[in-house]
Amino acid sequence: MITDVLIPVLLISLIGAFLAGILVIAKAVLANYGPCEIAINDEKRVTVQGGDDLLSSLRTEKIFIPSACGGRGTCGLCKLKVLEGAGDLLPTEEPYLDDDERSTQVRLSCQVKVRKALKIEIPTELFAIQECLCRCVEIVDLTHDIKQFRLELQEPATLDYLPGQYIQLLTPAYKKSSEEVYRAYSISSDPAEKNIIELIIRLVPEGICTTYCFDYLKVSDEVHINGPYGDFRLSQTDRPIVFIAGGSGMAPIKCMLHHLHNTNSTRKAVYYFGANQVSELFLLDTMRQFESTLPDFRFVPVVATPEADADWQGELGLVTQAVQRDLKDAADCEAYLCGSPGMIDAAAKVLKELGVHEDSIFFDKFA
Amino acid sequence: MKQSPGDKKLEAMLHSSNLVADGFMGDDKRSTPEIIQSDLRTLSLAQRSTEQLAQRMTAITNQAIAGLGTWVQIDSLRQARVDEAKGTLVCPWPHAGRFAKRVTTLKLTASGETIRWSDLNIHLIAAHSFFEGKGSHFRLEPDQLVAFIF
Repeated sequence: MITDVLIPVLLISLIGAFLAGILVIAKAVLANYGPCEIAINDEKRVTVQGGDDLLSSLRTEKIFIPSACGGRGTCGLCKLKVLEGAGDLLPTEEPYLDDDERSTQVRLSCQVKVRKALKIEIPTELFAIQECLCRCVEIVDLTHDIKQFRLELQEPATLDYLPGQYIQLLTPAYKKSSEEVYRAYSISSDPAEKNIIELIIRLVPEGICTTYCFDYLKVSDEVHINGPYGDFRLSQTDRPIVFIAGGSGMAPIKCMLHHLHNTNSTRKAVYYFGANQVSELFLLDTMRQFESTLPDFRFVPVVATPEADADWQGELGLVTQAVQRDLKDAADCEAYLCGSPGMIDAAAKVLKELGVHEDSIFFDKFA
Repeated sequence: MKQSPGDKKLEAMLHSSNLVADGFMGDDKRSTPEIIQSDLRTLSLAQRSTEQLAQRMTAITNQAIAGLGTWVQIDSLRQARVDEAKGTLVCPWPHAGRFAKRVTTLKLTASGETIRWSDLNIHLIAAHSFFEGKGSHFRLEPDQLVAFIF
């Protein structure tokens, strides 16, 4: 009786093991692409083991392409040009590429398998991107849903970046996310503190990375970041500056203000900082300190609907309305905006109406 | 009913936390078609369609965007605000669909009760009649949503 059951089970197990063995051998033989050369911008060549995706292969060579989803093909950020060797465009890439990009051989590097020699083009500044191990040394509550995180660089001990740039922070797999993901955050630190990366992060309801940072990340924990990325940066002119940013959009602006201070800049600057309520304003002391140390800087907090007991004496309404009321000689100015697409579109419209040239409006859009 | 490989892949994607924290299904044990059919029945009893819902939700969101993160009066009964975060959300169905990380919160002025939806919620309702599984962070109860927005 027992053998009647055992024999079929044994047979099925043997067949299963046999098929699994064939699959393993087939993978080792058929999917063994050997070493593959990747020619980058006609100036650098690296050799990687074939079979992996291009994004991961480049990462093993310490070349970091921006990606927010960890290579799952869901963020569309890891675009680069693959001039030779990529094969046909995959259905998983199609949603992320417009006609121009398709015609210029732009691909999602996480979806391109390295099976033979490739010829690719990437922006040269990506060569400067580094992967860094940090330790979280301070977490400060700025408002009910915004925190400031200070990360001390361990390896390497310093990171060069330009004020306005951002890093990508790795969220490890945890209770709410089964896979590692990267999310981009602007650097808010004083660039003079070479061993510190400071971030200002707003909690996204049920967001994978912000939930991790707010509820799981603790002081003394290790944190992995890579960067710096981005071309949102101050110009090398003496023109007056208008900063407009609310909430966590303050991060790159704060970094730029530190830079103006560190370089003894005499540029005239004004920062309009919008909040819904007085309790949502933060780092006011830091901004007042900039007012006293920078030669010609004004900080203008703007509150839409102050709490009844707040005794708010400052600017009222939307930040764009305050800019409209307050900004003089706008045509000479350069504007630096950071925030949601809605805020940036509205602010850019107001600035243009006030005479700021479109080419003088720079922004870091949350998109 | 036997599932096609595509259906199985979609079901796995909806349960996984690949696209959003904790996935789209919450602790709902029903299959996606069962959830959709049940919600469509509820909606039919409320005499509304998914198109009407999506249209009204979009209108409220667009009106609230002008508030730049502050509360905007939608009508005499309702206020709404829109909060945006960096990045995009991707539709779990296999087609081109990326949406700003934008959350609209609608408040009934009299009671202070709120309901919230993302741009992805609007798309899921309009294109897939999917209100997410019970227990999911962004699950919308169709009858409750109707009561809030109309």
